[in-house]
Amino acid sequence: MYKWFLAWRYLHTKLIAFFGIASVTLCVAMVLVVMSVMGGFLDTIRERSRGLHSEIVLDTGTLQGFPYYEEFQQYLQDNHKDVVSVTTPVIYTYGIFRVPATTYTRPSRVVGMRLNEYAQVNDFKQGLHYEHYFPGTTRLGPQRMPIGGIDDKQRLVLPADLEAANARWRESETDAEKKSEYTAHPYEMAMYPPYVTTQYPANRVYAFGDEGPGYVGPENSGVIIGCDLLNDRRNDGDFDRHLARGADIALTLMPISPAGNVTGEPPVRLPLRYVDDSRTGIFEIDDLCIYVDLDMLQHKLAMDPQTLADGGMTKARVNQLLISLRSGTDLETGKAIVAAAWEKFQESLGDQPSMTDMQLLSGVDVMTWEDLQRPFIQAVEKEKVLVTILFSLISLVAMALVGCVFYMIVEKKTRDIGILKAIGASARGVAGLFVAYALAVGICGAVLGTTLGVVFVWNINDIQAFLAALNPQLRVWSPEVYSFDKIPEIVNTWDALGVGVVAVLASVAGSIIPATIAGLIWPVKALRYE
Amino acid sequence: MLRAHNLYKSYAMGRASVDVLSGVSLSAKAGEFLVILGSSGSGKSTLLHLLGALDIPDRGDVEFHGKSVFQRTKKSREDYRNREVGFVFQFYHLLPELTVLENVIIPRLIGTPTFKWLSHRREAKKAAHAMLDRVGLSHRVKHRPNELSGGERQRVAIARALINEPTLLLADEPTGNLDEKIGAEILELLTEFNTAGQTIIMVTHDVRVAVRAHRQVRLTGGKIEKVAATKGSPALA
Repeated sequence: MYKWFLAWRYLHTKLIAFFGIASVTLCVAMVLVVMSVMGGFLDTIRERSRGLHSEIVLDTGTLQGFPYYEEFQQYLQDNHKDVVSVTTPVIYTYGIFRVPATTYTRPSRVVGMRLNEYAQVNDFKQGLHYEHYFPGTTRLGPQRMPIGGIDDKQRLVLPADLEAANARWRESETDAEKKSEYTAHPYEMAMYPPYVTTQYPANRVYAFGDEGPGYVGPENSGVIIGCDLLNDRRNDGDFDRHLARGADIALTLMPISPAGNVTGEPPVRLPLRYVDDSRTGIFEIDDLCIYVDLDMLQHKLAMDPQTLADGGMTKARVNQLLISLRSGTDLETGKAIVAAAWEKFQESLGDQPSMTDMQLLSGVDVMTWEDLQRPFIQAVEKEKVLVTILFSLISLVAMALVGCVFYMIVEKKTRDIGILKAIGASARGVAGLFVAYALAVGICGAVLGTTLGVVFVWNINDIQAFLAALNPQLRVWSPEVYSFDKIPEIVNTWDALGVGVVAVLASVAGSIIPATIAGLIWPVKALRYE
Repeated sequence: MLRAHNLYKSYAMGRASVDVLSGVSLSAKAGEFLVILGSSGSGKSTLLHLLGALDIPDRGDVEFHGKSVFQRTKKSREDYRNREVGFVFQFYHLLPELTVLENVIIPRLIGTPTFKWLSHRREAKKAAHAMLDRVGLSHRVKHRPNELSGGERQRVAIARALINEPTLLLADEPTGNLDEKIGAEILELLTEFNTAGQTIIMVTHDVRVAVRAHRQVRLTGGKIEKVAATKGSPALA
């Protein structure tokens, strides 16, 4: 009992103990911040990766793609309705993206999709900017440019369908603060003024007249553009949008034949209309990808059925088939069922496919979204383990520091040790006193460190914003480097508990040698110690 | 009650070995007040440490109630120091972080297992208050040692030594660090305890202090030189 009593008394009367507590606190906070940021990074990658794909993906890994996807969709529909929910084909290729009337050009990854189907298999639609404020207005088919008018109260008024869509959003939006943030005009809030007139060009006329809100320009296919490809990212993580919705975009593509040769002569040039921008939260994707209508892209890339010299027809090709499973279906089970179905389906084709088609079909892999992202996820997992080990090694310094602090305490308390032994304390009891003291130091350090770490992680983006406001050089998290636009702010409870427990154990371990020395001190020598 | 047989003790000083005790034998009876006299370096403190099992002799043994102290287990020797013997030191040796009451209670705390302590806590506090009352410090229970005078500190040390009601009180120059008046008060207090039946073995180099004892043992060069009994000594009875 006296061990705990004296340990408690030493804990709040000895200044030196606070150095021990401080070292444990800082180490716990440091390791927890690193683990949380890396863990959050990993979790975000998993979450976003899941949101990018469907549960199951058929992919060739080539630009030529694979044929017979429509037949396979039907096969799944006929035979595995109980497992497969939605299927949708995807084409990806590369092109050069240009904003006409500017010198802005960028290489980009062009994704062909059927937007409504695509939205059913993953979270893509949730990252669309205009679709959020004008629900139901983002589509990839041919369309003209919307243009606003200024009414007699000098307010911007959009075409009726956009006004109605925005009204629907306003009805469904429950956040009153968000709605009342800008009161000058209901749509300015959605658009974040002063860029409202750049997002919807306004006719500078009053009371509408003939040039009121409406649509102008030719009908071009819509294009959704990755938010970092077109806009300027602000420090608060949002974007400055300089291009009006509906603006002209030019895309240059090079079609690839089934054999893998470039067939476009000259390359295909597509006039498109900017309809929305997409934010997946992964910088590499948001800075590279643009999304267009699948059927239009398939046609332009000559991946749709082509007439052969002998009068026969080639099969349409796509690069991926995304398959969404019915809820409650285990991912691996779903993968096994789809893989088996794919094998059976190929067998059922018999001699139908040409030699080239057979090659393309044999290159198709059935993967889960985890398989698809595994190389990336595994690299981050390894990085997390490595960084945690490195920072844990640094924590050994704290252990050594606790050892030094306790050695000094034992030196200083030598005479007290003699007194305790003179009144009957055992060697083990005296050693136990210092271990109990270290345990108390460890517990205090772990609790304080965990609190500090958790508070730091929860506010890490605000802290960075504050530092960046003082000096932009102090911005350490770059979305270009770390993929995500925000530092993860999630602390895993088990990580926090684990770090705390390890810190307490390390603190106790650090005290073992000084405590043993204390226990072995001969009472007579201790009483004579000056 | 206590019997020391032929005790030898030497210490290494650099490469040389210094013989501090060279065959010391003595005994003390229950209720006796025995004083060990000697000049500085004569080995009197070493003898006291051996009697209290704070140190181990090179040769010889100490018997307490007929049982060898040094043939006991380590645990039994610790119990001996906790329950059978109480120590009073020249420099008080109080624990500076604890209050007067806590300093007095600490031997009880050491000698009681944790779970037993929870039920005996009140009784221990009561005993400590009673002991502090006997040494005249009931008004200082919440003070820290650095807030007390030398005499008060020594009274606390005496209370601590006697809290577990040991059979034997070993005092190492308890007045050596005090002025004459306060020293006399401490001596008076020890005499009171002795009169009440407490066996005391006290080490001192001051002959004036020694006259209070029943018996004086003079130690010179690590050997007993002279044993002198005073009137009323149980040794003479």
